[in-house]
Amino acid sequence: MKLSSRLKILRYSMFGGLGLLVLALFHTQVIKGATYRRMSENNRIRLIRLEAPRGNIYDRSGMLLATNRPAYHVYVIPEDFNPSEIPLLSEVLKLSENDIRSHMSEVRHASFTPVLLKRDVSKEMAMRIEERRPKLGGVFIQVRPIRTYPEGELGAHVLGYIGKISRLEYEARDQSVYHLNSWIGRTGVESAYDRELRGEDGGRQLEVDARGVPIRMLQERKPRPGSDVYLSLDMKLQSKLRPILGSRRGAILLMDLKTGGLLSTLSTPGYDPNSFVTPSRNEERLELIGSRQRPLFDRGLNGLYPPGSVFKLVTAMTALETGLITRHTTFNCPGYFQLSSRSRKFQCWFDGGHGRVDLLTAIERSCNVYFYQVGRLVGPKLLASYARKLGFGSRAALEIPTAEGLVPDADWKERQHHELWFPGETISFAIGQSYLLVSPLQILRLIAAIATDGSVVEPRLLTSNGHPETVTGNVRSSAPPIGPETFRVLRQGMLRAVASDQGTAQLARVDFGKLAAKTGTAQAPPGDPHAWFGGFYPYEDPRIALVVFVERGRSGGITAAKIAKQVIQVYNELYVTSAA
Amino acid sequence: MLHRLLKGIHWRIVSVAAGLVLIGVVAIYSASFRMGGGFAAKQATWTLIAVCAFFSAAWVGYRFFLNVSYLFYGLTIVLLVFVPLFGETYLGANRWISFGPFQLQPSELCKIATILILAQYLANRTALSEQKRSFFVTLALVAVPVGLILKQPDLGSALVFLPVLFAILFFWGFRIRYLVFLAMLGISMAPFLWHTLKPYQQKRLLVFFNPSVDPIGASYTAIQSKIAVGSGGLIGKGWLRGTQTQLDFVPEHHTDFIFSVIGEEFGFAGSIVIIALFGFLLLYVFEIMEHTTDLKARLLAIGIAAFLFFQVFVNIGMTIGLAPITGLTLPLVSYGGSSLVTTFFALGLLVSVYKERSIF
Repeated sequence: MKLSSRLKILRYSMFGGLGLLVLALFHTQVIKGATYRRMSENNRIRLIRLEAPRGNIYDRSGMLLATNRPAYHVYVIPEDFNPSEIPLLSEVLKLSENDIRSHMSEVRHASFTPVLLKRDVSKEMAMRIEERRPKLGGVFIQVRPIRTYPEGELGAHVLGYIGKISRLEYEARDQSVYHLNSWIGRTGVESAYDRELRGEDGGRQLEVDARGVPIRMLQERKPRPGSDVYLSLDMKLQSKLRPILGSRRGAILLMDLKTGGLLSTLSTPGYDPNSFVTPSRNEERLELIGSRQRPLFDRGLNGLYPPGSVFKLVTAMTALETGLITRHTTFNCPGYFQLSSRSRKFQCWFDGGHGRVDLLTAIERSCNVYFYQVGRLVGPKLLASYARKLGFGSRAALEIPTAEGLVPDADWKERQHHELWFPGETISFAIGQSYLLVSPLQILRLIAAIATDGSVVEPRLLTSNGHPETVTGNVRSSAPPIGPETFRVLRQGMLRAVASDQGTAQLARVDFGKLAAKTGTAQAPPGDPHAWFGGFYPYEDPRIALVVFVERGRSGGITAAKIAKQVIQVYNELYVTSAA
Repeated sequence: MLHRLLKGIHWRIVSVAAGLVLIGVVAIYSASFRMGGGFAAKQATWTLIAVCAFFSAAWVGYRFFLNVSYLFYGLTIVLLVFVPLFGETYLGANRWISFGPFQLQPSELCKIATILILAQYLANRTALSEQKRSFFVTLALVAVPVGLILKQPDLGSALVFLPVLFAILFFWGFRIRYLVFLAMLGISMAPFLWHTLKPYQQKRLLVFFNPSVDPIGASYTAIQSKIAVGSGGLIGKGWLRGTQTQLDFVPEHHTDFIFSVIGEEFGFAGSIVIIALFGFLLLYVFEIMEHTTDLKARLLAIGIAAFLFFQVFVNIGMTIGLAPITGLTLPLVSYGGSSLVTTFFALGLLVSVYKERSIF
C-alpha cells in the first residue's frame, strides 16, 4: 500500500538522521578528539574584541565637537599575577589594596581574562608601571580611545554625552551590537544617533599555546568605524553669544530660515560633558547632577514656561484667520478689562490705558486689553486648536527629543483638574498665561512660520556630510494652513514693535537693518517673570529667526530685548560684515 | 483504580524516557552547580509534574484531546498573543508567561495543540479528493503560531512546526508535487522571513556558513561548543569535570547546549547512549503506529515523531557544527519545564493509543 511506503520513507530518513549524528559525533569526538582536547586545556581560544572607534561630531563649518583621544588603561590577568605584589601595585596605581582584590575577583571563574584595573591613567603613571613590569607580572597597559569634547561647554546640551551601559539597558538592547562594557549615548545627539556613531565592533579569535602565546588567528573581523555626524550649529557664533547671557539662566535659539537648520541652541548655565567621560572628574559630574541651577537641563529645547505676550501672535492669528477681526478692528483700552460689571478687573500692563487701538498698534504696544477682547471673541477651543496647528503642545520633529508642552482647553481641564473652564481663563490664555506651557524652541517655530509665510517651520539639527545648506529631512512638510495675508499683518505689527518709539521691543533696534519682533513678560509666581523675545531679521527678506529666553529675567522688553540686540549684532558681524 | 491506570502502559517507552530525564538531571547538575539556582532540583520537580501530565494523557485518552483540539489550539494561540503583553523578557526575547514560580512557554504547548488539530482535521478529509482545500487550511493552521512565535522572537521553536507539517502531510497522502510546491513556497518566502529575524539570529545563521561573520559572538559559541564535545573523546572527562562548559565558554549550557556538557563529560560513549535512547523512543513511536488502524492516532504519532526527531537532530547537530544555532531544546534532557511537560504529555497520548490497541 502506498501509505506504508511513505511511512517507511519517513522512518528511514529519521533513523538515517540519527545515524548521521553518530557518524558526525564519531568524527568530532574520536577522530578529532585529541585535537579538541588540546584546545580545551587551559582554554586555548582567546577572544579579543576590537572596538570600533566612535564617529566624530562636527558643527557646520567642520569644527570638531566630539571625538576620541587615546588613553592609557591598566589591565591585569589575575592568573599571571603574583598576589604578594598587591601592595606595590596599590602604591603605583594609587588604588586601595581592597579595590584591586575586588576587581580581580570579578572574574573568579575565568582568571585568564584581563580585568580593567584603572581607566585613563596619566602618561607618567603608565611609564612607572612599564618600569616595574618585571615585578608586576600579568599587569599591562593598553591604549584605548576615550570620548572627548574639545569645545567643552559649547553645544553640550545638544551633543549630549556617553556613559557605560547598565545591566538593564544591556538586556533590553540588541546584544549583537552592544556588550556588557559598551558605552552608549546618554542624551542629545550622542544618544539619538548612537547606532550611527558607534559603528560595529570587530574581533579576533586567537588560538594560543599553554603559555598564552598566540599560535594562529582562527577568525578575524575588522571593526567598522562609526559614522561622523554633522550639525547645522555654528559654534563660532555660539561661542560669541555665550558671554551675552553671562550668569543668567536662559537660552538663545537661532535658526537659518533658508534651510531650517539651527545655528544656535545655547542654554545656560551649561556644563562640560568631558566630566561624564573622564574618570578623574567623577566628583564634578556628581556636583553637576545635584546642582540647583540645573545645568544639565536644556532650557531652549526642553524648558517649559508660560510664553506671555509672545503668544498674542497666536491669538491674533486665530482671530484673523477665522474672520472674527480684521487688521482695522479697534478696541478701547481704558487700562483694564472686565467680563461683566461685577467681575474682577484684568489689568493692562500700561495703567493709563492705550486708548482706542487697532491690531497693529496692539501688537506694537502689546496691549493686553485688546487681546482680552480678541480672546473673548475666539474662545478657548479655537485658540487651542490654532495653537496646536502651530506646533504647541507637541514635540518638534527635531532629531533629538524635545519637550511637548501644554495647550489647555476645557476638555483637558476637566480631565486634569475635574473643574469647569472659567471665562476668565480664556482671557489669560489669550495673552499667553493660564495653564499654557511652551518651550523656546516652539516659539522659534512660530516666529519662523510667520517670517516665511509658513514655509519653514521645522527646525533641524543635522546636515548631510558637512554641507550646511542641506539639512536633512523635509523642512517644508507641515506648513500650517494659514493665509499669507495673516502672516503679513503679523510681520508688520512685529516690525512696528521694534521700529516705533512706543514699541515694546524698541531696545533691540539695530541701525544696520530692520528687525521685527514680539516681546513677552510671562508671569510665573512665585518669583520674577520670565523674559521672552522672538523675532526675525532682516524684515524684508528674513534670513534668521531668533528667540531669547531669560528665566526670571523680569522684562521681555528690557532684559530679553537688550540681549537680542547684541545677538543680532554678533550675527551681522559674522555673517554679513565679514562675508562682504 | 491504580490498576486501571497502570494497565496497558507501554513500559518500554516509559523507561526510555525516564533514562533520558535522568541523564538530563545529572548533566544539568554538572552544568549549573557552580552558578547555583538549583536547576537540577527544579528539573526533578518538573519531572513530577510531567509524569502527572503523562498519566493524565494516557488515562483520559487521545480521543478526548482530539475532540477538544480546536479549543486547545485556540487557547494556546491566545496565550501566544499574550506573551508580548505579559511575558518575561530574557535576553531580548519574550517567550515566557509567569504563573507565580512557574514559567510557561506557550510555544511548547502550541506545538502539541497544532499536531492534535492537524491530525483531527486531516483524518476527516480524504486524501483522494480534498487535497487543495486541506492544503490551504493546514497551511493556515501552522502559519498562525509560526508567525506569532517568530515575533517573540524564537526562531528554533517556530522552525519545529515545519518538519511536523511536512511529515503529517506526507504521511496523510499529500501529492508529492504539492509538497514540492510547498518547499518552493518556503524557499521563495525565505528572503522576506530573513528580514523579520533579529540581527543576532541572522548572525547565528550566517556564522553557520561563514564563521568569520561574528568571531566574538555566535561563531565563538559554535567553536567553543564543538571543542567541548570534541574534547570529550571516547569516554569523556568525567562527571563535573568538563572544563569547557564549567568555565562558561559555552552559553546556555543547562538548556540549549546541554548536549555539549554530556559530550564533554561522558564522551562518545555517552553520546551513543543518548542517541540510542532517542532511537528506541522513535522505534516505539513507530511500533505504536503499527498497532493501530485509527488514522487520527497515526497522524498524531507521526507528528510527535517528527518533532522529537527534528529537535534531537538540530540540537545535537548545532553543538558539533552540523546545524546552525537556533535555540532548540533537546527533548527530555534540556532544562525547562514547559518542554518537559509537553514532551511527556505527547508520550502519554501515544501510550493511550497503545492502550486502545486491544479494541481491534
